[in-house]
Amino acid sequence: MNRSSLGARLAPLLLVGLLAVSLANVGLLDPQRLGRGVMNIGVFTSAMFPPNLGVLETVALAILETLQIAFVGTVVGAALGLPLALLATQTLFGPWLTGGVRLVLAIVRTIPALLWGIIFVVALGLGPGAGSLGVGLYSLGYLGKLFYEIFEGVDAEVLEAVRSVGCSRVQLARFALLPEAANNLLAQLLFMFEYNVRASSIMGFVGAGGIGYYMLGYIQLLRYDALLTSILVTLVVVIAIDYGSARLRRLYLPETRRLS
Amino acid sequence: MAEPRASGQDGPVSDQGSLAVETRDLWFSFSGGGPVLRGVDLDAARGQVTVVLGASGSGKTTLLKLLKGLLAPQRGSIRVLGRTTSPGGRGIRLDAAVAYIPQNLGLVRNLTVLENTLTGALGRMGALPALLMAFPPEWIKEATGFLERLGIAHKLEEKVYNLSGGERQRVAIARALMQRPQLLLADEFVSQLDPVTTVSIMDSVRETVVTGLTVIMTTHELDVVARYADHVAVLRDGQKVLDLPAAEVNPRLLSQVIKV
Ligand SMILES: Nc1ncnc2c1ncn2[C@@H]1O[C@H](COP(=O)(O)OP(=O)(O)OP(=O)(O)O)[C@@H](O)[C@H]1O
Ligand SMILES: [Mg+2]
Repeated sequence: MNRSSLGARLAPLLLVGLLAVSLANVGLLDPQRLGRGVMNIGVFTSAMFPPNLGVLETVALAILETLQIAFVGTVVGAALGLPLALLATQTLFGPWLTGGVRLVLAIVRTIPALLWGIIFVVALGLGPGAGSLGVGLYSLGYLGKLFYEIFEGVDAEVLEAVRSVGCSRVQLARFALLPEAANNLLAQLLFMFEYNVRASSIMGFVGAGGIGYYMLGYIQLLRYDALLTSILVTLVVVIAIDYGSARLRRLYLPETRRLS
Repeated sequence: MAEPRASGQDGPVSDQGSLAVETRDLWFSFSGGGPVLRGVDLDAARGQVTVVLGASGSGKTTLLKLLKGLLAPQRGSIRVLGRTTSPGGRGIRLDAAVAYIPQNLGLVRNLTVLENTLTGALGRMGALPALLMAFPPEWIKEATGFLERLGIAHKLEEKVYNLSGGERQRVAIARALMQRPQLLLADEFVSQLDPVTTVSIMDSVRETVVTGLTVIMTTHELDVVARYADHVAVLRDGQKVLDLPAAEVNPRLLSQVIKV
């Protein structure tokens, strides 16, 4: 038997061993603890029903704030991300500039949205302003990357043709890159907004506004029936947003409609 | 309309006065590849239609891109319209007097017929008006005029992705004319068109040549050579293997030279 086929046989065994050790270390191989967990979930679930409709108004206002955080965050992320993405596009700029901008975007991306929320709570104080900026910076990191990848996917021949008319880089971006990329940019923007609604709903955990603040409070006060109300409202809103953006997509992206 | 080939029958190229294009010992290879062009000398007289023939992969597209300044040769010199071209980096504006229609036309699909045509004027437009798409009315008139002559003015506001191949070809020509070019480089110019459309498009190009435009085009259609060429050059594996006035070539000779 040669070395590579021996390796191929050993690899699955190693993987199983690694999984067993990891499961033990995170405490999921402890039968007592697992049993307690199942019972707790039972208690927790029964305490959730029926949902407490008395908090509906509070929860509705909070989810509205969450949506605003997501909206402002997405717009901030896109407004900063679009120019940065252009500066990171190798068909427009040289390796030093694009490399530098990409590095900045990558650093921004390594910090999770919640951590950005904490940073802005420290900087600006508690409230939805901090949450919006937190979501905004997080979106900037992702949209920046998604956007420059879209720009670099634009048909090279179109860029060569438009460059050939003797235009500047700004004109090339305006008349070739942006219109060619518009559909994909919009699709990613909608996706980001959907994602941000979810991210914004836990911003309240760190005091950065929105429905998460109430969810955390209900958990700490053991008001599981009120927690269920806020979860259900969030669920309904998330589904509605997904549905709405699917409609928008069909309205504004006729080419994807024609393909489907 | 002038009689096709009229100028081609006048005699040797040197009698035509100055050259629009003059390359000497042109060598080019893509990074990591072998030479694609090997010592090409090409002369194109002003006001003539020069057709470059050659099998697939013989280097026709590469030659046109070098003439446009989209690629830089490793060795040899290129003079276009009396100037020695030195292809610059991404930030350099290319010469608007040299129009380039790539193999797949390079139109911006999400812009309208009129917008694509106006793109040809970007070279003489300032940054701010261009960003706002504020084209002077006389340019819009000029563009509409070209589109009328090419028989596509009824689709001014149509997005290019809704057009047929022949309609797109007309828009690409209109964009090129909008550059007020002295030299037109057209790659695989009429390859995707039916014979009737080919004739009508070549006739309109020929009409423009009468007004002093120089054309260098590549094609696989030997019919086009017989009807419209003044001069013919044949590439094989990156070398020029034939260079004659169109009057002196016949289809049998051409297919022999191209295929071997
Ligand atoms: N971007 C590129 N990178 C590397 N090699 C390339 C690139 N573009 C073209 N080539 C190679 O250069 C050679 C010449 O290509 P070119 O496109 O100039 O041929 P062509 O004569 O236009 O062919 P066709 O008639 O099929 O359009 C081919 O062997 C091709 O594989
Ligand atoms: Mg080609």
